[in-house]
This record gives sequence, C-alpha cells and structure tokens, in this order.
Amino acid sequence: MDEVIFLEVLEGDVLHERYRLEEFPVTVGRAYTNDVILDDPKVSASHLRLERAEDGSLVLRDVGSHNGTFQVEPWARLAELTLVDDARVAVGDTVLRFRSRSHPVEETRLTVAPVAPRGHRVFDRPFGFPAMLALTVVGYLLYEYLTNYQKTDWGSLALAVFAPVFATFVWSGLWSVASKVARRQFFFGAHGTIGSLALLGLLVMPMVVTLLTYSLSLGTWVKWLFLGVYLGWMGCVLFWHLRYVTRAEPRRVAGVLAVILVCFGVLTQADSLLGEEDFTTLLDVDRTLLPPALRVAPAESADAFFEDSQRLQDEVDALVKEGP
Amino acid sequence: MLTILLLAALAQAPAPVPAQGVPAGAPDAGTPAVVPPLPVATLPPATHELFERIKGRVVQVRIIERRSGTKSSIGSAFFVSAEGHAVTNYHVISSIVHQPEDYTAELVRDGKESDSVPVKLMAVDVIHDLAVIQMDGAVKDWFELADREPPQGTRLFAMGNPHDLGTTIVEGTYNGLIQDALYDKVHFSGAINPGMSGGPTVTGEGKVVGVNVATMGNQLGFLVPVAHSRALLERARQVKESSPSALLAEVGSQLLDNQQRITERLMATLVPTQTLGDYRVPGRWLPFLKCWGDTPHQPENPYTITNYQCSSEEDLYLSSDHRTGVVAYDHAYVTSEQLGSLRFSSLYTDTFGNDAGGVDATKEDVTNFRCKVEFVKVGGIPVRAALCLRAYKKLPGLYDLALRAATLNASTSGVQTSLDLAGFSADNARAIARRYLEALAWTK
Repeated sequence: MDEVIFLEVLEGDVLHERYRLEEFPVTVGRAYTNDVILDDPKVSASHLRLERAEDGSLVLRDVGSHNGTFQVEPWARLAELTLVDDARVAVGDTVLRFRSRSHPVEETRLTVAPVAPRGHRVFDRPFGFPAMLALTVVGYLLYEYLTNYQKTDWGSLALAVFAPVFATFVWSGLWSVASKVARRQFFFGAHGTIGSLALLGLLVMPMVVTLLTYSLSLGTWVKWLFLGVYLGWMGCVLFWHLRYVTRAEPRRVAGVLAVILVCFGVLTQADSLLGEEDFTTLLDVDRTLLPPALRVAPAESADAFFEDSQRLQDEVDALVKEGP
Repeated sequence: MLTILLLAALAQAPAPVPAQGVPAGAPDAGTPAVVPPLPVATLPPATHELFERIKGRVVQVRIIERRSGTKSSIGSAFFVSAEGHAVTNYHVISSIVHQPEDYTAELVRDGKESDSVPVKLMAVDVIHDLAVIQMDGAVKDWFELADREPPQGTRLFAMGNPHDLGTTIVEGTYNGLIQDALYDKVHFSGAINPGMSGGPTVTGEGKVVGVNVATMGNQLGFLVPVAHSRALLERARQVKESSPSALLAEVGSQLLDNQQRITERLMATLVPTQTLGDYRVPGRWLPFLKCWGDTPHQPENPYTITNYQCSSEEDLYLSSDHRTGVVAYDHAYVTSEQLGSLRFSSLYTDTFGNDAGGVDATKEDVTNFRCKVEFVKVGGIPVRAALCLRAYKKLPGLYDLALRAATLNASTSGVQTSLDLAGFSADNARAIARRYLEALAWTK
C-alpha cells in the first residue's frame, strides 16, 4: 500500500468524510484521544488501529472493541486485516473505505450547461429588459387603441401601460427569487426580458393566427394550430426561465416541459377529444372581420357556397342519429 | 314578436295569484234609467242568463304529471259533440304529445275536482294551435259552432278558467281577422288571461266564433277562427284510436306542409329591396313580415349604425321551450367617417358578433348548429358569409337555418345581415337563404 492513503467514512454509498493519512500508527474510535474520531454511538471509544508492518503493508487491527470490526464482503468479523486498495470494513453503523493515491477515478463527465448562461445570451444584454418591456407596452397600447372604436378612453389606455408592467415585474420577481434560491443570483434582467417577451407573445400570437385564418380563409383546424403555437410559446418561455433557475441539462428540462405541456394541452382539450359537446343554441362561427385589403383568399360563388351546405345537413342528420 | 303571451306557458307557475278585487259589473247595474231605451232587437242578451245556460259546456283541462300525481299546467276546453269531443288549444296539451310517458290529461267539470275524467287526445292542428280531446261517455250539452263570421263590433263573450279561479265569462268585441298575419287569428278586444286558453268565445246566441289562444295584454286578445276548429273536429270524428307517436308524426307533417306553403309564397315573389346607406338589402318580402328601422343617435360615438329588421312576429308553439315556423331577418348598416380601417374593422367585428340568437329550443328538440364560413361573391361584392343548420330531433325533415353575412367591399362602411328560418326543410331553407343573400347589392 502507498505511503499516503485516504480513509473515507461512508454513510450508505455516500461519502461523508475523508481523511488523508500519512503517518502511522493511526487510531480510530469515538474518544477524543483518537486521530480519526467517529461519532457513531455503536463505535467503541478506542476501536481500531492502523499500523505499518515491517514489510511495508498496512494492517488494520481491532483493539478490543465492544461491537467488533467486520469485513463487508463477504460479511465476517475480523481482528486483523491487511489493507488493499478500496478495502472496506464496517464499524458500528459506519463503513470505512481505504483508498490509495493510485486509485483510478471515472472520466470527466461532459456537461452541456456552462456554469451560468451568462455572456452570450440575448436575455442578459444590458438594457435588454427595459427595451423589451417598452416594446411590450407599446404593443399593448397600440392594441388598445386599435380595438377601441368609442371615443378615447384614457383609463383603459393607462391600464394598457400599467397592467403589462405590473405583470412583468411580479412574474419575473418570482422567477428571480427562484434563481436566487437555486443559483444564488437573481438574474432579474434576464427573467424580466423573458417575461416581457412572453406577454408580447400572448398579444401577438392570437393576432397572427387570426390574421392568417381570416386572410387565407382557413378551416376550423386552425384551433389546433393555435393550441400548438400557444403551448409551444409557453414551453419556450418556461424553458428559458428554468435555464436561469436550474443547472439541469437543457435537454432534460425541455423533455420534462414538453411532457407537462402536452398533458396540459390534452386536459384542456379533453372535451373535444372525447367528442363531448354541450348543447348550445349559439352559432359556432368565427366573426372576425378585417379590412378588405387583408383578404387573400378568393371569394367563391354563391352556387358553390350553397351547394357545399349539403355537408352541414349531413352533419346535423348524423347528430340526430347518434344522440338520444 | 315575443309580446304574444302563451297562456299555458304562464299557467305553469303553480301559485294562483288571488284576484285583486275586480269590480264586478257594478256600473251597469247602477245606471239610472234616464237614457231612452234602445229597440229590443239590439239589446245585448243578459250575460248572466247566457252564462247560466252554457257554463256546463266549458271545462277545465288539467295536465297531470304522472310522478307527482298533480297538475303541472291548466287550460280550458269546451264540448262540441254529443260523443264527448271537446276543443282546446294545442299548447294546452302539448306535453302529452311530446312526453306521453310523463303526462296525462283530465277534465274537471263544474269545478268539482273529485270527479275529474281522463281524456284522450284525438287530433291536433299545430299550425292553428288547436286540439280535439274526447272523454268517454255521452255529453248532454254542447256548443254549436258558428257557420259564418260575425260583423266587426259584435259583442262576444269569452269563457274559460283564468288562473284556476273558476269558470268566468268576459265581454268583448269582435274585431275581425288580423291583417297580413302569417297564421289566421281573430282580434278580440277583451281580457283573455292565462288559463282561459282553449276556452270558447261565443256570440249572444251561444254560438262559438273562436277559441281563446293568446293575449298581448290590456284587452288585446286573440282567437283562433272557428272554421279551423270545425275542420279539426271533422278529422277527429274519423279517428278511432290515436297514439302519441301518430300524433307526433301528424305534427311533423303539418309543419312540413306549412313550411312548404310559406316557402312557395316567398319564392313566388321577387325580394323587394330597401336602400340602406350605399347598399340595397332585402326589404319587406311579404306583407306578413313586419319591418322596423332605427338609427340610435349617439353623437359621442365616431360611427353610426342603422338597423332595419323584419319578422313575422308570430311563431308556432311546439312545446314550452320550443318555437318554430319563424322567418326573421335584420340588417345593420355600419359606417364611420372618423375611424381608420383597422379601428373600423374591430367595430365591424363586434357588431357582427353581437348576435341576439335565433329561436328558443332545448337539447331534446334540436341538435347543435353546424356552421361554415366563407368569402362569397354576391352581386359583384365580396361578402363574409356564415351558414348554419341544425336538425329537429323528433320531427325528421325539419331544420333551423341561420345565415350571417357582412359586406367587405369598403374599408369604413358595410352592411351586416342575418336571417333566421325556423322549421323549414333543408332545401327550402337553402333556397330562401340564397334568394335572400342574392338580394344584397352595392349601389355605387
């Protein structure tokens, strides 16, 4: 055995303490007279002793302990043991492992996640947060202005400024606290930028989907597209927030998020996936009307329009047949 | 349209409100005899004598809910044959057509609840809201049906059992058939109240001229002309045995005939158009449609909306939650000189989405609507059009159609139109909707 060895105190498989031993003999036990002190109540005050034999090998000797010293594999009580690399003995509830300097270690595990996603991330740029927040507020203001066709309502305009700012601060504040707890750093600017972007997305995404649906006269399958885009957006936002909170590998984070979001999506659509439909006397019609210039799809003839309504008749006839 | 108050529907409320001291004919009794007496021939008959003579011919109809064993609604009826036939309203007994397993009907004579007699439903006329019921055993005293219409102004007497207060008699005057109505009705100026539905309105000689059916309040009552009762009674005499399913099928075929009649009338006419802003829109298609228009004046709004609506203002009672036989449409001309095209489009979207909804119905009556939305070229202009259909569950072949359309040729003005058809065959509804949509045009 090497002239320097390491005594490692294990609890279960987890390393609890490590001692570097150079000079022998070394005593091990619960009393303060020992070189290595074990706080295990089942270990004797003076439990064992490590000595260098004349041939240079290291010998472990039980010095008359109450509960004895055991070889771990196979389980056997021992009075004396010549130590080899990675030898293990059990004393009381504690396992001692002995390793030499030449003990091989595992290869370095490669990590995709650098220490902090700082430096080359868009979200961390100086003034990124204020700029993004300003853009979001302008977006909401514009939306409020364009959708209000009554006379100017200063109250709702003020709300269009205040609400996104407030929401962003609360939202990114909570994420920052999570970052602080997990990574000892707030990353408030990054969370704020991501949060503003999330709010802007909530505003812009439906508008884009509505615009596409209307101009191209897309069918009702658009609602699935919308759901997909919406969940995707939510996923992206949560992913980037989490990158600043946890050190877990991005691929794992993305995987977990994907599973959660798919479950969430399925739950919200459970009704229509199961084919259950509540009774309503309302018309399920998309009433969006946009300026004529935004229409791309051609207008069909009245002939085609009314001929195609045969399909509706077949659908409602099928409803009569299936329902009580 | 909804001001017509169907009597049985109100009678569903179980608590009979006690009468609030109706002054009982006191002014007549107290009039001193200073006015020179009129010739004897023009004297009205003494109401109390008339009442005494005919009160036994009027009965109360009770719809009994089987599980609770008690009445769920009431109406009136009157005997018209020695074999026990009695005429009442379809809406009084509609529950036993639609839910025969839950409801039965019985007659109460002279207010004696103890000897109520079960009755069978023999024939129905859903279009004119009539039904003939029959009790077992002979009847000694019954009404004669008048064979011609009385002149306008004739004094008539409506009988029935309003709010379960006992048989009453109400004086009023005959004011002829309602002009341009889709379904025949007599205008009777007299008080008809819930519970009197199905009771007779008779002349001074005791001949029935109509059946009480509805009221619009304040002495404005409606009767079904007696000719329809006579026709239905003839049919009922032929019927030996009737079953609920046969009656329901009869209701279905009457509705199909009726919608065919309305469709033929509509399709035989070119749609007259009405100018609305820069557009021409369907106007008063047939006289039975009543049209109204208005432009709410709100100077603080940077836009104006002009409304124009037409409706038959009448519908057919199928069951307490289900009406049919409706033709109704409305247009809104939306324009603004101040709004830009994006802000206008959000106004235009909101007014288009502001939908009063079609015709009352429940899950048991109809399916959900199925809709399609497309850009359609109408009269050279692009229109966003939505067409919806739903089917009747118990009456095969009948559908409700809803058409919504908005013109898209101008960026800060446009016409939005909506058409509701209830109780039509799919082909007829489509044909009417198409004729309607194609009447839309731009005048510039």
